[in-house]
Amino acid sequence: MIAGLPIGFTSPLLLLALLALPILWWLLRLIPPRPRRIAFPPTRILMEIEPKEETPARTPWWLTLLRLVLAALIIIAAAGPVWNPPVPGARDRGPIALIVDSGWAAAAQWNERMRAAEAIITRAETESRGVAVIGTGTPAKEFSLLRPGEAREALKLLAPAAHTPDRSEILAPLSRLLRASGDLTVVWLSDGVDLGDGAAFIEELRRIAGDRVVAVNGGIAGALALVAADNAAGALSVKVLRADPMAPARGIVRARDLRGLALGDAAFEFSGAAAEIEARFDLPVEIRNDIARLEILGERSSGAVQLLDKRWRRRTVGVISGATADTAQPLLAATYYLSRALGPFADVRIAESGSPSEAINRFIDQRIPLLVLSDVGTIVPASRERLARWIDGGGMLIRFAGPRLAAANEDDLVPVRIRRGGRVLGGSLSWEQPQKLGSFSREGPFNDFPVPDDVTVTRQVLAEPDGQLPERTWASLADGTPLVTAARRGRGLIILFHVTADTSWSNLPISGVFVDMLRRTVALAGTASGVTETRSAVERGPAPTIAPTRLLDGFGAYTAPAPTVKPVPADFTGRAIADHPPGFYGPPEGLFAVNTLAAADRMKPLDFSALAGRVEPYRQGEPLDLRSYVLVAVLSLILLDALIVLVLAGGLARIARRRAAAAAMVGCAVLFGAPQFGPLRAQDSFDVRAALQTRLAYVVTGDTETDAVSRAGLEGLSQFLQQRTALEPGDPMGIDLARDELAFYPMLYWPIVPTAAKPDAATLTRIDTYMKQGGTILFDTRDAFTAIPGRPGEVSPALARLREILASLDIPELEPVPRDHVLTKAFYLLRDFPGRYNTGTFWVEALPAGEDETRPARPGDSVSPILITSNDFAGAWAVARDGQPLLPLVPGEPRQREFAFRVGVNIVMYVLTGNYKADQVHVPALLERLGQ
Amino acid sequence: MNAARRDLNRGPDDATARGAANTAQRLVAAMPRLVLEARRVAGSVYHGVHGRRRAGPGENFWQYRRFTDGEPANRVDWRRSARDDHLYVREREWEAAHTIWIWPDRSPSMVFASPLVWETKLDRALVLTFALGELLVRGGERVGIPGLMRPTASRAVIDRMADVIVHAAETPASLPPAFAPGAREEVVLLGDFWSPTKEVTGMIASLGSRGAGGHLVQVVDPAEETFPYGGRIEFQEPEGLGSITIGRAEAWKDDFIRRVALHRDAIRAEAKRLGWSFAVHRTDRPASELVLALHARMGASNDVLAGRRRTSTMTNEAVA
Repeated sequence: MIAGLPIGFTSPLLLLALLALPILWWLLRLIPPRPRRIAFPPTRILMEIEPKEETPARTPWWLTLLRLVLAALIIIAAAGPVWNPPVPGARDRGPIALIVDSGWAAAAQWNERMRAAEAIITRAETESRGVAVIGTGTPAKEFSLLRPGEAREALKLLAPAAHTPDRSEILAPLSRLLRASGDLTVVWLSDGVDLGDGAAFIEELRRIAGDRVVAVNGGIAGALALVAADNAAGALSVKVLRADPMAPARGIVRARDLRGLALGDAAFEFSGAAAEIEARFDLPVEIRNDIARLEILGERSSGAVQLLDKRWRRRTVGVISGATADTAQPLLAATYYLSRALGPFADVRIAESGSPSEAINRFIDQRIPLLVLSDVGTIVPASRERLARWIDGGGMLIRFAGPRLAAANEDDLVPVRIRRGGRVLGGSLSWEQPQKLGSFSREGPFNDFPVPDDVTVTRQVLAEPDGQLPERTWASLADGTPLVTAARRGRGLIILFHVTADTSWSNLPISGVFVDMLRRTVALAGTASGVTETRSAVERGPAPTIAPTRLLDGFGAYTAPAPTVKPVPADFTGRAIADHPPGFYGPPEGLFAVNTLAAADRMKPLDFSALAGRVEPYRQGEPLDLRSYVLVAVLSLILLDALIVLVLAGGLARIARRRAAAAAMVGCAVLFGAPQFGPLRAQDSFDVRAALQTRLAYVVTGDTETDAVSRAGLEGLSQFLQQRTALEPGDPMGIDLARDELAFYPMLYWPIVPTAAKPDAATLTRIDTYMKQGGTILFDTRDAFTAIPGRPGEVSPALARLREILASLDIPELEPVPRDHVLTKAFYLLRDFPGRYNTGTFWVEALPAGEDETRPARPGDSVSPILITSNDFAGAWAVARDGQPLLPLVPGEPRQREFAFRVGVNIVMYVLTGNYKADQVHVPALLERLGQ
Repeated sequence: MNAARRDLNRGPDDATARGAANTAQRLVAAMPRLVLEARRVAGSVYHGVHGRRRAGPGENFWQYRRFTDGEPANRVDWRRSARDDHLYVREREWEAAHTIWIWPDRSPSMVFASPLVWETKLDRALVLTFALGELLVRGGERVGIPGLMRPTASRAVIDRMADVIVHAAETPASLPPAFAPGAREEVVLLGDFWSPTKEVTGMIASLGSRGAGGHLVQVVDPAEETFPYGGRIEFQEPEGLGSITIGRAEAWKDDFIRRVALHRDAIRAEAKRLGWSFAVHRTDRPASELVLALHARMGASNDVLAGRRRTSTMTNEAVA
């Protein structure tokens, strides 16, 4: 096992052979490579030189290294390397207790964990070892060893629990199991997440199992979790946690509403090794309030889901003040106290201008669920009607008393009837001293608040006592007079604070309880059952419970509640437990969310250092036997080594010598290490050679014999030209019509082979272009001997093939070479054009009918692009390397070969000089004219 | 560890013999080409050099000149003198036939062409031999090959030379056979002279002992001068005289060049002592260059046949 890499060896002891590598290195250094053998005439001079004290010629270090690598690879291959080796038991015998962390933290990579467990069970199966499958999420009372097949079934039944399991629950049965079976190996597939009890568990595990523990941790992505969603003023934020840096560093938190529709995404990215990062949803508050579920995309676990209920909802509160001077001293105004008190949990909108009636209309238009009227007395009837309807429809109105309210007539938008005038310290309903807050009504929403003793009221509006007053009172002063009253109206609620929202009547607005009261009040808004439910909860006793509705499973999906799930207390806060799995509890209109992790929970990576056993990473993917790959690498290295030895011993040059000249040049370059040849492509060098010297060229037909004769013929003609004329052509070149550039060659010799394939259309186009641009092609059907003369109907195969080729080309009118054609005078004076045979006709482009028949040569405007013969010129020109002609001539007249060469010279001269000779024959006439 | 293993005791073996047979076959095949090339070289030189147009012992009329006092009277050409008042002496063109021995080294060491050139040293030596023979015969000299061909003035000297070389029976040696050229004879030795310095100088001394003139032409491959080798190489003597394995050939380059220079200096000194010329001809240079220079040199040396010859190095490009 190499740390960090999932590589294992089936027989690791063989790796000890690697220690022998230095000896091999020494041996390799001693044996020099086989020298190149070069015959060198002045060797005796070399022998006279004093032998040098040179570094002994040794194998170059890189070759030694290559061979060492080779040897090392062979050893490694023999040791049986395996990629992703299966997790072995601590020892190779005895049953296995397989502890699987099956909480939510294991859910995200559940398949990998299950694969690891499967691998262990499979291995146990081959070794006939019993297996006990222990899931921490659903611990049994007793564990029993199963046969591997049964264990596999038990493993399949294992599913991740949605809550955070308490690992310590398995310790007791595990220790009993350990006692029952002596040499048990404990394999713990951990999820790597420590939520506080990890260290204790590991300590206890070490105590009961000693060093027989193999903990499997890491190697796969760690878990992510969401906690502490907070719907703050600007945005909804949620904390993303991770336990170890192996967890995904970035991701997206998606917000969904109750029906599962996506409302928004927030990206997060951990910086460095940070374990916690905040994701923020910058959404309008109305949309934020609809968010019921936050989840990390792609992280399928209940820990990565955060459920939000109405406690996270953020209310918009419209605040309307009846006072006109509010803006004069803004820090003493009622609106200021209200916005400060409401701000932490609600969005406060303050009616800045206009009359209260207009503000009411505007807020109702904005569909604000909660209005605060601070000391607003009389309201315009139209607005008042609207406000009443709004309350009936579910709106919530909070009113604060004040001089205007106290003075208002017949105000029915109050929960209780108000006595006119109110009560003032020292007034008619006199108080001796400021009244303290007396009690909170048990029926009201403030029933669990402690009664503060620092709230004093100096002035208030009084309610007319009637029978409904006690049940409508939520808070009252020490003397029993109500401070806060509330009443339902339709589906809405009206709440009245009998004091002002500023400090002129009481110090309630600057006390802490004021904020709590407002928060509790605001929380009622929008829940039609606010009061009644509260009341019914009160009736059920001090610990109301809420029945489960939609729960999360371990993967974070909604499921129906299992029968074992117990109702959750209404004041339940904290981490979900087995009895109260995460999910929504309560009726659909008043859902209560229980989350997997409490807001204060933080994940830590498990610290395995206290464990006495081993820690191994999870393996992703199947075990892969690397032997074949290593062996292939060994084989290719052997080939490489052989190649290098060949090059070092000069074998390459030996091969190259048998190749063509170009290959030989490459060999030289290798031999002498001189980069004399630029990075030319083969085709380029071919073209460069063709362009640098005038050359004769022939068309490679593919028929070896014909091509050899063509080449020898053109070589012979080149020699002849060199001897007899000023032209010194280079070596002739064979041209592949389809591939090579033709522009460099003044003339192409094209022997027609009947069996050769006809050139394709693109090639024919190139040929046509070549002829149009001044090139000349000498077609040779080479069948004058075999063709039957005098029977024009009979067409030899070569001629048929030639006609086939020419049919696709733009060919001028042809004629047999006339006696006065330049070809007969271009260098030698010729009467006919013999090659190997002398019976064939030599065709050339027809010249325009001459106007002056007396001239010895007719000038053509240009060189004929096409010449056709059947006399097999190349056969007559062909010479062997020793200068002897290759082929016999027919009929073999004494000077036939000489004349054949002369024909070649004339053709080449004609092609190169054009009608120059035709002009030359005019010289006497010109001189004569000049003389006159 | 001694990287340069010396292996001096290996004699010629079967492989060498087979190689020689192959060489002979190749030589026969190449001969027409060599002859042709030699004719071309000779032709180009011949057109550039005009014979020794000077008075001397010969049969053809050269010129009449005034009789000078003190000459034997029988030299007077009376028929010419009768035509006017002066006495004339009839001079004939100098036509002293001169014997020149040309010896091409045909030993296996000459069958060597490095990748830098296309022609072996043997081919070049033969071309030079033939061209020189043709030129000299045309110039009226008699040309022979020591041990193979008696001196002849035949016009078909090239063909005869080629014939005897192709049909030569014995295994060619690195140095010319011991023979005794006369005092008025000249010797042209074309070879690589890579034998030990003492053998070469001794050979020159014995050949020149009777006062014969001579010209040494060392035909070398460019690789033999520049030593363009590197790495671990086993150098083999083509004549089977051993091999030497060198670990890092590039380190030997300077020593080799220095050693070659020493070798040549010794040969040159010996040649100078005898009044012979010494030239180095590289096979990457044209053959006609050397033929022209050599021919001119021989013409010049004939002027001072008597007495010690003026010695000079020839202006060949490759003179080391």
